Amino acid sequence: MKLWVTLEGREAEVEFSAEGDRLFLEVDGRRLEADFKRLPDGEVYSLLMEGRSHEVRVSPAAEGLEVSLEGMTLPVEVRHPLERMLRATQRAGHSGTGEVIHAPMPGMVVSYRVKPGDTVGPGEPVVVIEAMKMQNELSARRGGVVAELLVAERTSVSAGQALVRLTPGAA
Amino acid sequence: MPIRRVLIANRGEIAVRVIRTLRELDITSIAIYSEPDRVALHVLLADEAYLVGPGPAHESYLNQERVLAVAKQARADAIHPGYGFFAENAGFARACERAGIAFIGPSPDTIAALGDKLAARAAAVKAGVPVIPGSPGPVGTLDEARALGRTIGWPLMLKAAAGGGGKGMRIARAESELESAWAMARGEAQAAFGDDRVFIERAIVKPRHVEAQILADTHGNVAFLGERECSVQRRHQKLFEETPCPAFDDKTRAAFGKAACKIAKAVGYRSAGTVEFILDEDGRFYFLEVNTHLQVEHPVTELTTGLDLVAEQIRVAEGAALSFGAHPPAPRGWAMEARVIAEDPARNFMPSVGRIERVRFPQGPGVRNDAGIYRGYDVPVFYDSLLSKLVVWAEDRERARRRMLRALYEFVLEGPHHNLAFHRWLLAHPEFVAGRLSTRFIDDHFRPEALTPGGPAAEVALIAAALHAREERLRVALPNGDRSDRAGWRWSERRRTPSRPRR
Repeated sequence: MKLWVTLEGREAEVEFSAEGDRLFLEVDGRRLEADFKRLPDGEVYSLLMEGRSHEVRVSPAAEGLEVSLEGMTLPVEVRHPLERMLRATQRAGHSGTGEVIHAPMPGMVVSYRVKPGDTVGPGEPVVVIEAMKMQNELSARRGGVVAELLVAERTSVSAGQALVRLTPGAA
Repeated sequence: MPIRRVLIANRGEIAVRVIRTLRELDITSIAIYSEPDRVALHVLLADEAYLVGPGPAHESYLNQERVLAVAKQARADAIHPGYGFFAENAGFARACERAGIAFIGPSPDTIAALGDKLAARAAAVKAGVPVIPGSPGPVGTLDEARALGRTIGWPLMLKAAAGGGGKGMRIARAESELESAWAMARGEAQAAFGDDRVFIERAIVKPRHVEAQILADTHGNVAFLGERECSVQRRHQKLFEETPCPAFDDKTRAAFGKAACKIAKAVGYRSAGTVEFILDEDGRFYFLEVNTHLQVEHPVTELTTGLDLVAEQIRVAEGAALSFGAHPPAPRGWAMEARVIAEDPARNFMPSVGRIERVRFPQGPGVRNDAGIYRGYDVPVFYDSLLSKLVVWAEDRERARRRMLRALYEFVLEGPHHNLAFHRWLLAHPEFVAGRLSTRFIDDHFRPEALTPGGPAAEVALIAAALHAREERLRVALPNGDRSDRAGWRWSERRRTPSRPRR
């Protein structure tokens, strides 16, 4: 089976096959092999790769998948080759879309650092939310011009709720 | 008066901690819980448990009338406040006394005197203990704050007068930062304590945070049980503690313990308490504040002294003398504590919530784990994000460090974001290994990229992703037009629900 995998900002074509408890994988001309066993509690695998023991968990994330190992997580996207082609086409048609800043967790909007019409650079603070008794500043990822503040100050918000909409900047 | 039934006015790992000692002492443990905490670990472990209200703390764990009504109904003869919530609330301690219930902690007057940071500072000055230069009282206006900055010099530290736990604390490195720090400190102080008074003092540039554990009874015994180094902090909240302090020699330690005991005696302290100090780069210490409760990091002191601090608190509340009388045990070896917190170190330590999908606690020689979670438990949004305290003991610092690293590698925790990888980074950092710590450690040394797994991890991740694809069988989804800042493709719904293990 063939896959397109995006890992640490790199895309690669991966070819793999499985025989019983063994998985064979080819990527960038290299061949990897693993003995695998699935463990309980979600999608958890014990892997033995050239004798080295690893324990990994795969879980769905906001975009694609998350692979957890040794207390760290790696975002991984796995796509069918056809899907990748379609996506590239769509990207070409939508260059320079805006940005929406979402509440990362339930909390309360304390104050905005911007008002509609302001220009915000990448990484600049936009809104302060209070959650778990801490105030946190949320920043714009790409930046742009503030189109709309979507929630009033001192309002409770749920996780994922949109707070600020930015349109692409003039620059 | 012997104590037979104790209500724990708290939740999470500290409630569990107190319940453990109560069971060992054959005292009935009475838990309280909020609606979302119905199946929290402290409810499961306690002998009895009673509902006190809905999720928000001020409607449940901080609802004084309700908590006291439950205590009376349950015939509690004492209340243990843990830390946070009512632990530094003199009004609550007083109400307990009026209701004929012992408050396990210092007297209400002591709590009131030390809870007001300015009064505490005055008490330290009177006892001859050095303090950091700063405002004599709360600062009324931004202009006053500016003027103070010009006289005592930048950087300034702004602190909530009613504060604790790092809430309502902001630093202003220069006058340009003062306005925003002023607003943030007052906003947080108001939100956390309902009191927006802020005082100001000079910030020490590379301070260490070192604190003294004290224990006092009503028979005149005041013991110093060793210091704790708590410098590794983010947003003025501790992440990692150890005892002894790597920067102390015997002479400093003796002077330090003496200063802490002087303050305790000056205010007639009883029960367990912590005297916090700032240590500057030249090894001089300045009084900071007294925490009138059992501290989060008390287990490291328990491991080096062999004492059970909760049991000592109960003895004192019963009117008995400390178990060791006037001769505290000499601390032995080295202990470290890593606070395992639901937060994302890669995203500015942003708090995280969610279900504990998988957990396997470390075990083995010299390891203690004080956790408030279990598999399947949902971390609620209403409370502190501390999940567990991993504590180790060994003969010396290097052995303790290696043991902690080993335990951190053993710790499996999945669900919310957490800081286990951060702790591993910390323990392996050359400056940490050398014992060169300051409260600026994270600002100076930590970069989120440090937590990116290395090369072999990518290969393992590839294998895992392929196995996932094999199980789930990829399907092409249709473009989803309205999500402007996300990829235009989604996995089918099936893969969003965790799949069951196959046998």
